Amino acid sequence: MNTTGKTCQQNLIGEMGKRWVFLFLLLEFAYFSISASGYFSFDTVQMILFYGTEIFLLASAELFVIITGGIDLSVGYVLGFATVISSKLMVVFASLGISPIGCILISIVITLVIGLIPGFVNGVLVAKLRIPPFIATFSMLGITQGISELLMQGIPAKNLPILAGSIGNGYLLYIVPGQALSFFHRPDVPRGVRVYEIIPNVVVFAFLFIAVFAFILKRMRFGQHLYAIGGNIDAAARAGINVRKNLVAVYMLSSFFASLAGIIYVMKYITGKADAGAGFLLDAIAAVVIGGASMFGGSGTVWRTILGCFVIAVLETGLRMMGTPTFDKYILVGVILIFTVLIECFFSNFKK
Amino acid sequence: MRTSELSSRPGFTQTTIGRTVGRNWALFFLIFMVIVFAFTGSGFFEIANFQNIIHLSSTSILLAAAETFVIITGGIDLSVGFVMGLSSALAARIMVILSTTALPVPWIIILGSLAGLVISLIPGFISGTLVARFKVPPFIATMGMWGICNGITLRLCHGFFPIAGLPAALPELGNGYLIYIHPGKSITFFQKPEYLADNQIRELIRLIPFSFILITVVILILWFILHRHRFGQHTYAIGDNVDAAIRAGIDVNRHLVKIYMLSSFLAGLAGVYNVFQTGIGNYTTFSAMYELFAVAAVVIGGASLAGGKGRILGSFVGVLVLAVLKNGLAISGVEPFVRYIAVGVLLIVAVTIDQLFPDLF
Repeated sequence: MNTTGKTCQQNLIGEMGKRWVFLFLLLEFAYFSISASGYFSFDTVQMILFYGTEIFLLASAELFVIITGGIDLSVGYVLGFATVISSKLMVVFASLGISPIGCILISIVITLVIGLIPGFVNGVLVAKLRIPPFIATFSMLGITQGISELLMQGIPAKNLPILAGSIGNGYLLYIVPGQALSFFHRPDVPRGVRVYEIIPNVVVFAFLFIAVFAFILKRMRFGQHLYAIGGNIDAAARAGINVRKNLVAVYMLSSFFASLAGIIYVMKYITGKADAGAGFLLDAIAAVVIGGASMFGGSGTVWRTILGCFVIAVLETGLRMMGTPTFDKYILVGVILIFTVLIECFFSNFKK
Repeated sequence: MRTSELSSRPGFTQTTIGRTVGRNWALFFLIFMVIVFAFTGSGFFEIANFQNIIHLSSTSILLAAAETFVIITGGIDLSVGFVMGLSSALAARIMVILSTTALPVPWIIILGSLAGLVISLIPGFISGTLVARFKVPPFIATMGMWGICNGITLRLCHGFFPIAGLPAALPELGNGYLIYIHPGKSITFFQKPEYLADNQIRELIRLIPFSFILITVVILILWFILHRHRFGQHTYAIGDNVDAAIRAGIDVNRHLVKIYMLSSFLAGLAGVYNVFQTGIGNYTTFSAMYELFAVAAVVIGGASLAGGKGRILGSFVGVLVLAVLKNGLAISGVEPFVRYIAVGVLLIVAVTIDQLFPDLF
């Protein structure tokens, strides 16, 4: 970064260039608050968080890979793969007579472990065989899709434990004003009494993981190595970083987050299918790019990626509440995507 | 597979035969597959089936041809699948609107198709301009166009409804054959013999689908442009080394815009042809992944995502490999999911061969 010889005005514009996503998000939220009645409320924010959980996780997954200068096309179908595996496992364990909570926990753990495999293969293909990430992860997309359809045999899993759905659609905190306050369990109140539900469980679950990995990315050596690899892979190798090991780890991490999203999908919708994540890929990559990461690697932060996710999620819920067809979202996401890169271009030119 | 065989004999790739096998491994693999499927699937090794394979993959061939040009320059075009949907939907919508007027049917079809083809130039122009003048990474620029085209297409389709109510002549044109032979009775061109009853239709032998003619013409033109014309030389030059191309006096920006417009136009052609084939205007679904399969075909055909490499006939073979795999596995009674896995494995093999023998091509 060239910090010498900057005038005050340049500083201001530079700051605006850095923070424009945040400004844009505020403007967007303000616009929908005015034009869609009932948009400006706590419930809307919770809804955005609840329906956006998968995108938040997939975008974080994509971010780690994009920081190293790669791309992971397989996240959507690894998500589908994880939904199929975990739902099938839950059904199998439930039929063995294990208690619901036990079979959910065991399935989650097994799914997370199995979910590392596609990432491991991706990483080996990219790091050891030097196959371009685009091709390697596309192959993995096909392979995971094939395997999950093979497992599914065209029928989504049925008879999942009811507990899964109640966890996935439950909230952390329930408040009945003046009467009760309870964690996790909905208090028994007569019909018609307003229960305030605060913070969906799945959001807590997702953000716990995102926060941990945001910390790792920012403060730990592994994170610094990722930025170094993305910045200049040869320099990183010469500086003594084990590039191959780190690359394998990053693709495994991406796959891990995708399977986490898959598990959340199962808990939310109580079903698992191979193409559950097919439509998420554009949103995930778009969120990372809107969040200011460069496709060439070396830049991007979790915080700004989350902002990017919000830009898309606020747009989607806003359009839905205004009653516009949701496919207008695709047009706007496309426009914002291109616009972001143009703005980044403009400001980086300005700084020179 | 073949990789280990080649690498175990280091001198092999230097010989003429070795180079030919390495360069055209996809073609050899295609022949190998055809032979295997001829034994495993009854009804595979028939002219009717081969015609069917070509006919059903004609849009994929056009998309792969589009992707070839972009990949040679070192870029990527993720929007082809959705540009195809856009021009398909627009052509169909225009035809539906014109059907309410008193225009004769041929004019309706011609005007609708023209609209579809012309609209397809716009996404290419925009993404080309973004890539060339504003230095937006091709991945992002074309991904943006993907979203925009998809949204506009769904608007044209009023949501997720394919556009129906088109002239009945369309599918007859799109699925017609050049020659119809009723063994021992008659030979007709362009149209089925009129006297034929429905129950006799299976006796009819059809030869050379119109789609085959379209594909042949397009591929010949593109082959000429890419391998015998200055345009193609410039394309390879840009993919090899942009800086060298600029110093050699090539107007790289202009050329890139042209490349993306060509790619988009070919996708539009695929979309319009799709209307002829199906008789309705189709939007592109997310799970179709046309663009990714087009990239896969181009890479199997010997192109490199780093640019500078790729052949139009190679991409053609690449599409055929994917199509024969799908068709052959289905006819042999293998579960369709195996195909996805096979495509993945095939891609990895293709790129590994490319990586192991960089000087082969």
